[in-house]
Amino acid sequence: MTKSEDGLPPFVKSWTQLYYLIIAVLILLIALFYWFTVSFE
Amino acid sequence: MNWIDWIVLLLTLVIIVGYGIYQSKKDRTISSYLLADRSLPWYHITLSVMATQASAVTFLSAPGQAYTDGMRFVQFYFGLPLAMVVLCITFVPKFHTFRSVTAYEFLEKRFDLRTRGLTSFLFLLQRALSTGLSIYAPALILSSILGWDILYTNILSGAAVLLYTVVGGARALSYTHLLQMGIVTLGMIAAGVMVVHLLPPQVSFTDALNVAGKMGKTNAIDFTFDLNSRYNVWSGLIGGFFLQLSYFGTDQSQVGRYLTGSSVGQSRLGLAMNGLLKIPMQFLILLVGVLVFAFYQFTTPPLHFDAIPVNKTLQTPFAGQYRELESKHEALQLAKRAEVIKLHERLENGDATEIAASRKILSEAEKEVQSLRKESAGLLSEATGTVVNDVNYIFLRFITDYLPAGLVGLLIAVILLACMGSVASAYQSLASTTVVDFYRRSIAKNKSEAHYVTASRLATAFWGIFCMVVAQYASRFGSMIEAVNVLGSLFYGVTLGIFLTAFYFRKIGGRAVFLGAIIGELFVVVSHIADLTAFLWLNLIGCVLVILFAAVIEKVWPEPRKQLTNGE
Repeated sequence: MTKSEDGLPPFVKSWTQLYYLIIAVLILLIALFYWFTVSFE
Repeated sequence: MNWIDWIVLLLTLVIIVGYGIYQSKKDRTISSYLLADRSLPWYHITLSVMATQASAVTFLSAPGQAYTDGMRFVQFYFGLPLAMVVLCITFVPKFHTFRSVTAYEFLEKRFDLRTRGLTSFLFLLQRALSTGLSIYAPALILSSILGWDILYTNILSGAAVLLYTVVGGARALSYTHLLQMGIVTLGMIAAGVMVVHLLPPQVSFTDALNVAGKMGKTNAIDFTFDLNSRYNVWSGLIGGFFLQLSYFGTDQSQVGRYLTGSSVGQSRLGLAMNGLLKIPMQFLILLVGVLVFAFYQFTTPPLHFDAIPVNKTLQTPFAGQYRELESKHEALQLAKRAEVIKLHERLENGDATEIAASRKILSEAEKEVQSLRKESAGLLSEATGTVVNDVNYIFLRFITDYLPAGLVGLLIAVILLACMGSVASAYQSLASTTVVDFYRRSIAKNKSEAHYVTASRLATAFWGIFCMVVAQYASRFGSMIEAVNVLGSLFYGVTLGIFLTAFYFRKIGGRAVFLGAIIGELFVVVSHIADLTAFLWLNLIGCVLVILFAAVIEKVWPEPRKQLTNGE
């Protein structure tokens, strides 16, 4: 394992991919919360 | 609380304090005492940063906030994942490269001693004050349950934490954070399940959300761009991003947590996982508050959730007036409940016109309830001579009134453990900044490592006592979770501006950033006093102003550049 890969989880190939994943999850959560707001209001 | 609750509570606390002391090792160096020899894996960092951020206020005040204001508070955290990404890319490698013990050490290497001193001072000021609020939250619970004066419960809450923080250092903190987060998660899941279980048999989880939603409590998302609205998507994403970046990037209570990572990668992954987990966790905590609101639509809630001022008032000539308000409230709740039951039936039938009619009636009824609650708070304040606010008591009152024996003790322990997690980190960060950035740097240079470890223990004890004194005056604030965040926003933006200038504006020198920070801070304080904008935006304003003023000052009054070391 190279120094830059230390700590990298197995489901991503690079740190950049992990950062994109975090942003994608944030967008998904906002969309889900919007659905939640609209569904129950 | 009955004896089962007391056993659960005391056992949990003894286990945590004992475990903290058991995990501590003989610390011979300041790096060992303050950073656990930089040896911890990513999951320690994730849980430790979460435990540090999630204070008792999170579990006590957030459900109360959802009860009164709905779920819109969740938007406050939208900037957090973005902040984690920036931290992983910029802050973590920089701090690791410089082998910093505190975040502020880096600023002297990049700028000068006065910038390091100013930033450290701003940190000590805001962290000491907000830690006082964090101690006050569980002290309030103990005061309400035991009937003790808040002075004694403040001392009790602050002192238990102090014991293992002084003895155990960073390693003890991190191991206790792991255990605390496990118990806290278990307790909150149990509370959520119990609220649903306590709803009337014909009302399901979805029905409860439908009723709460029709009364405006499931408002998790608001896309309206309004600078004066406290919580919307944009203030959360932009203002929240700057607040969270500043909190995690420049507040030593957090920096000290991820500097314990065994490598840059371990620290990065710890923060990244926090970015993935924090928003769902906060959503679920607020959801518990909304469910408590739904529960109280089928069961009459107290007019005022804090029993102490009510009992005091009933011993005064104001008792008659208060009883009258209670009768009005009872009648109003009964009428409201009948309408809620109608709404529930109409929701099952799906008649939109009738649902809209119910909604209108309930909206009016809710306004009347809020008006009565406000009137009662005013009366209680007048009768007791103290400022009365019951937002922080809503969830607590529900726990003690309706949850079964054992679970009450567990949830009280959850709130205390959450407090211990954040307060322990705060004590240690205050001590590390005092010793590393002031004592070792300017007062007692070139002493032995053992000397600085002893100084750190003494500084921890000093700040512990100081924060307990602050806690004594915390009742003057409203919702504590907001008070903590408002306080942070006054200083975080400026501090972040200094760090971002250090990382990204390499032509700006120490003198310019120092003067820019002072002018920026004055602007932020004036903006807050004049109520020019919602508090989240102060983070952005403070940060941008520091960079702008520093750039202008550097342009008109340039300073010879300082060469960086350590490969920079």
